[in-house]
Amino acid sequence: MSKKYYRFYGGLITAQERWLNRMAAKGLRLISTGKMLYEFEECSPGQFQYRVEFIGQKSKKDAAEYRNFLEDMGYRVFFKNINLNYSAGKVVYCPWAEKGGRISTTSTTYNRELLIVEKEDDGKPLELHTTLEDKQNYYKTMRRPMLFGFLFWGTFAVIMKVWWVGILSAIFLIPLISCQLELARIAKQAKLTE
Amino acid sequence: MRDHVKGGALTEVTFYILLSLYSPRHGYAIMQFIEEETGGRLSLGAGTLYGALNTLQEKGFIAPCDDRGKRKREYIITAEGKEIAEKEMARLKALIEIAEKIIGGVL
Repeated sequence: MSKKYYRFYGGLITAQERWLNRMAAKGLRLISTGKMLYEFEECSPGQFQYRVEFIGQKSKKDAAEYRNFLEDMGYRVFFKNINLNYSAGKVVYCPWAEKGGRISTTSTTYNRELLIVEKEDDGKPLELHTTLEDKQNYYKTMRRPMLFGFLFWGTFAVIMKVWWVGILSAIFLIPLISCQLELARIAKQAKLTE
Repeated sequence: MRDHVKGGALTEVTFYILLSLYSPRHGYAIMQFIEEETGGRLSLGAGTLYGALNTLQEKGFIAPCDDRGKRKREYIITAEGKEIAEKEMARLKALIEIAEKIIGGVL
């Protein structure tokens, strides 16, 4: 019997990751994802571990290649949405993305901004980014859309004097600050080691 | 990837990847090679490896092998890559010599 849970984490990537790992510790393994739906089946407690990674900057081709690469490594991979948008044929312009990924549509990368990566627990932690430099790159690419969202809605709120748009802007502030803190921590470490 | 071409120093990960590709290997085999050779000290994340392979390929230090129907993509070091690896070996040798002069040789 599968169990269904409804959650929405948006840009709170580590919160989503922690929740999935808590579920796995309880003996629940992810088998499918929807916009808000997470479907689990029973497994032995602690059998699997999870990582959630932001890949919204990638083009469709690069995202597919990365996914194949991870699957070749023996991981199980799910795409996950970062927004909550049910419209069909959505087209968004993402100036912060990599070449080839700047126009995001429902048939390319929209609603596939995150990857959930699953690995069977073999005693080693599941780490996708291990060098300081690569971690730095990862947080920098993630910071870009958050900064963009914060400034875009913030400017809109100030110019139009609509206070509730300010809330939209503030939503981006949480992941933005956590990226910033992480980057500062890495920069300090990178002064002596690589 | 920051490989300090002017200073001649490669990052440790770059050097190990180049060494692992003196014979053709796919991503998982590279990861295993590095873990085994370093006794588990250096464990490479899949995301880091993916980025490193792409960068090395762009620089022309490694190239994908003829796949011949294999599902997993294998890579091999190029002549240019070998040249870079040899330079790195010489640089490290020189560094070790200086270190031994100052600290004393390993007994």
